[in-house]
Amino acid sequence: MAVEMNDQANGAVAVAGGIDLYELPEGCIANALSLTSPRDACRLSLVASTFRSAAQSDDVWERFLPPDYRDVLGRSAEGIKLLRSSMSKKELYVRLCDEPILIDNGTKSFSLEKSSGKKCYMLAASDLTIVWGDTPRYWKWISLSESRFAVVAELLDVCWLEIRGKIRSCMLSPDSTYAAYLVFSSRTRTYGFEYQPAEASIVISGQEGQKQAVHLDPDGAQRLRQHIRPRRRRGVFGLRQAALMSQPETIPTDSDVQYAKQRGDGWMEAKLGEIFINGGQDVELDMSLMEIKGGNWKSGLIVQGIEVRPKEGK
Amino acid sequence: MASKGNLTLKSCNGKEFIVEEKVAVMSTTIKNMVDVDDSFAQGVIPIIGVDGKILAKLIEYCKEHAEADEDEEVKSEEYLKKFDEKFVDELNLNDLYDLLKASNYLEITKLLNLLCQKVASMIKGKKPEEIRRIFNIKNDFTPEEEEEINRQNPWAF
Repeated sequence: MAVEMNDQANGAVAVAGGIDLYELPEGCIANALSLTSPRDACRLSLVASTFRSAAQSDDVWERFLPPDYRDVLGRSAEGIKLLRSSMSKKELYVRLCDEPILIDNGTKSFSLEKSSGKKCYMLAASDLTIVWGDTPRYWKWISLSESRFAVVAELLDVCWLEIRGKIRSCMLSPDSTYAAYLVFSSRTRTYGFEYQPAEASIVISGQEGQKQAVHLDPDGAQRLRQHIRPRRRRGVFGLRQAALMSQPETIPTDSDVQYAKQRGDGWMEAKLGEIFINGGQDVELDMSLMEIKGGNWKSGLIVQGIEVRPKEGK
Repeated sequence: MASKGNLTLKSCNGKEFIVEEKVAVMSTTIKNMVDVDDSFAQGVIPIIGVDGKILAKLIEYCKEHAEADEDEEVKSEEYLKKFDEKFVDELNLNDLYDLLKASNYLEITKLLNLLCQKVASMIKGKKPEEIRRIFNIKNDFTPEEEEEINRQNPWAF
């Protein structure tokens, strides 16, 4: 007891019989911290000054950055500038989390998910295959200051809505579950999306996968549900009714339907699906969003792109 | 005196261990000593700051791994994995700490990584105050410094 009191009085670290991690070489603490997670490393800076100094070290943050980060950043002038700058590895990490950088001539953006350091990409609308996208009557390419990309695609009017994107699995962080999202916003005059959900999916190229039903216009769908639904049987939406009857197997029950959600950056996002990225294989992933069964005209979407990011906590 | 191909290691409390050279040179520090000065290979190599108990542990680890490196069939990857797991599981905190320091000093990279992995699994997801309690670490920050750290990494807390 006397020993412990004495130690405390001196500000010494070890008590009798205890150990003293405080005196471990900083390299060992840094090594251990680099095997935890970015979030842990930051939180554990608070343990003691040796931890703080280890948790700032480039060795630790180099391990949290994706192994191929130099190659990815090398694909953009902005990225090369970051690589040549004198910022610490931790600063670089935080920078890549907070502000996506444009790569591949501005057709994609690259960023990191903050708590895990896993890679995120957004494919610009111009990097997607949009059916009728090159027909000015149906789709218009415009610049928006809110977009991270030079141009976005505004839907003027189509019956056949089909948007596809591709990404190779080796671009993503291995052994992680990823989710893909269509990132869009709506004009005030948006119409045609309230009657039926769109069908979305993410699959390995050439394989059949599960389709996800997603409402791009949650408010419109809600209004329809509350006010108009009882009249549907009388044929107000005869066209849609016919479509429903002809392909009943593709219509999910209401509980399976997802709704587009508001993002923190002012855009909306509709989840296309999830897929596990197996580190051992490099395959092409096909992402799609389609609404071709309603047969009605649709208008008012502004598509920024498709985002692929790790599912939270995976 | 060790016979040819063997080295004698002496702990700080005077215990001597005769080990095969291939086992001893798992330590980069020892390898460098033997490489530059032949007399170490004949004489006794003092291992400063490492007592007999810890040195025995180090040798046990290096022996398994040196043998596995030599003959994968006898000691498979799976066998080694199990051995490593058992090795770290059986360590108490004092031994873990002493082994960390010793493997850092002797540059036994594989073991150092294994031990750091163990420490990582012990600190992952825990609160700073829990870590301080487990490892008996004193918080040497002023309240202002603590606040500064919190401010620097708002997303992590």
